[in-house]
Amino acid sequence: MNLPKADHFIPALARTSLDMPPLWGRLVSISPDRAEFLSHFELPAGRMLALSFEAGRGNFEDVRARIKTALRDADGYYNYELVFVDRAQRDLLKAALIEAFPPIKL
Amino acid sequence: MFNTVQIICASPKDRAILEGIFRNLGADAVFSNDLNDALSVFEKARPAAVFVADGEEPPAEIEIRELRRVAPFLPVLVLLKRRDASRAVGLMKAGALDCAQSPWTEEELRPLYRKALNISGTTIELDSSALRRRRVSSALLLAAFCAFTGFAGGLYYGFNKYSPRAQQPRSFALPYAHPTGIVVKADTVLVSDWYSQAIYEHNMKTFGIRRVTSLPETTPVAMTASQDALWLAGAGGVIEKRLLDARYTPAARTKAFTPAPDSACFDGLYFWTANSRTGEIVKRMPGDELAPLKTFRYPGGKLEALTCDTRFLWAADPSMKSLVKLSLDDPERIISRTELKAYAARGLKVTAMAAKDGKVWFAAEDGGGAQVFYAEEPKQ
Repeated sequence: MNLPKADHFIPALARTSLDMPPLWGRLVSISPDRAEFLSHFELPAGRMLALSFEAGRGNFEDVRARIKTALRDADGYYNYELVFVDRAQRDLLKAALIEAFPPIKL
Repeated sequence: MFNTVQIICASPKDRAILEGIFRNLGADAVFSNDLNDALSVFEKARPAAVFVADGEEPPAEIEIRELRRVAPFLPVLVLLKRRDASRAVGLMKAGALDCAQSPWTEEELRPLYRKALNISGTTIELDSSALRRRRVSSALLLAAFCAFTGFAGGLYYGFNKYSPRAQQPRSFALPYAHPTGIVVKADTVLVSDWYSQAIYEHNMKTFGIRRVTSLPETTPVAMTASQDALWLAGAGGVIEKRLLDARYTPAARTKAFTPAPDSACFDGLYFWTANSRTGEIVKRMPGDELAPLKTFRYPGGKLEALTCDTRFLWAADPSMKSLVKLSLDDPERIISRTELKAYAARGLKVTAMAAKDGKVWFAAEDGGGAQVFYAEEPKQ
């Protein structure tokens, strides 16, 4: 959620539509299926986003995600729970995350 | 809340706008014209966050880098002069916490300002759960101790206040059957026994025997004590003065008196002897010879035993079943007599008496055994 170490999280650019200027924020958590996006820009739940960000050595452009929930914190920032909708992009993201954070073998 | 923010902005127009906005936000804004100016007052101002206006010299990336070099945990936010998401993301990658879009308004800057203040510095939270647990345990322990102490105190108070007082026994059975003399000391009672020819020292409260001193050459028939001596009357009429040491060492002896006295006492000034068969009371000088001064007749029915204190003579009279109080000046005058309940027992024969501290003590044979008992001194 909205942790104090927000300035360490992944900066991301988000497009909502072609006729609207893009906005920005940070991905405070990410997995191949979903992510949590923190921004001071307000967006409604259900809106589709196209995210651009860097994860590990991967550079991701226009990763399609849908806003599942939107919550505003005490500072006025919005926490968006995002669900990645494109299967191909999820697979790419999964590979990048595994490369960046290899599983621990005991 | 620590709310000093530093704003690096060269444009007077923008500074005027930002000054109003941060004033409304409740911030204590410190303005600097450029990076060098900002760094020169940085130590003094100690801001919680730095806002950098974009589009000035040096570029915002350099300012971010230099500021984070000086204060790595300080939030740096960039005030963009136009909405450019790519540049915002680039600046955030360079180290900016966030970027504000133009136009700069209070509504636009409020979340950034509040977030910057909330995350500034290193957040340290002590894991104090163990300490809290210990505190809770200590508090519970203290409460339990107080409850127990209060309960125990109440119980003790109630027990002392409401429980009936234990009655001090007033009579004690003796393990020997022929007591002849009794002397009451501070915490012990001495009893002489003619049959076993011994002096028994008893604990006054329990009457347990503390010590037995054998007197193989004497058959004691009466005993009394003065300040520094023990006086033993023998069966032959001789009275021995003995030291108050462990063995009651003999110090002097009188000639044999006739009739042989079977009661003796010392009133602090004179020595008194009595014979129960004749009812004769003799007042004597307290020297080693116990020279007689005057002889009196007992005025009551039958004299069984006699003792005295510094004020009166006390006699046990079985015919009147009473304790008789006599005058030291005139022993032939009865001051008062008080019924002695012990005489209700058949076969009781008082053989010795002693008076001390408002109590009159009796040693008596009661058929097969013997006992010691005491009574409060009569008031009249």
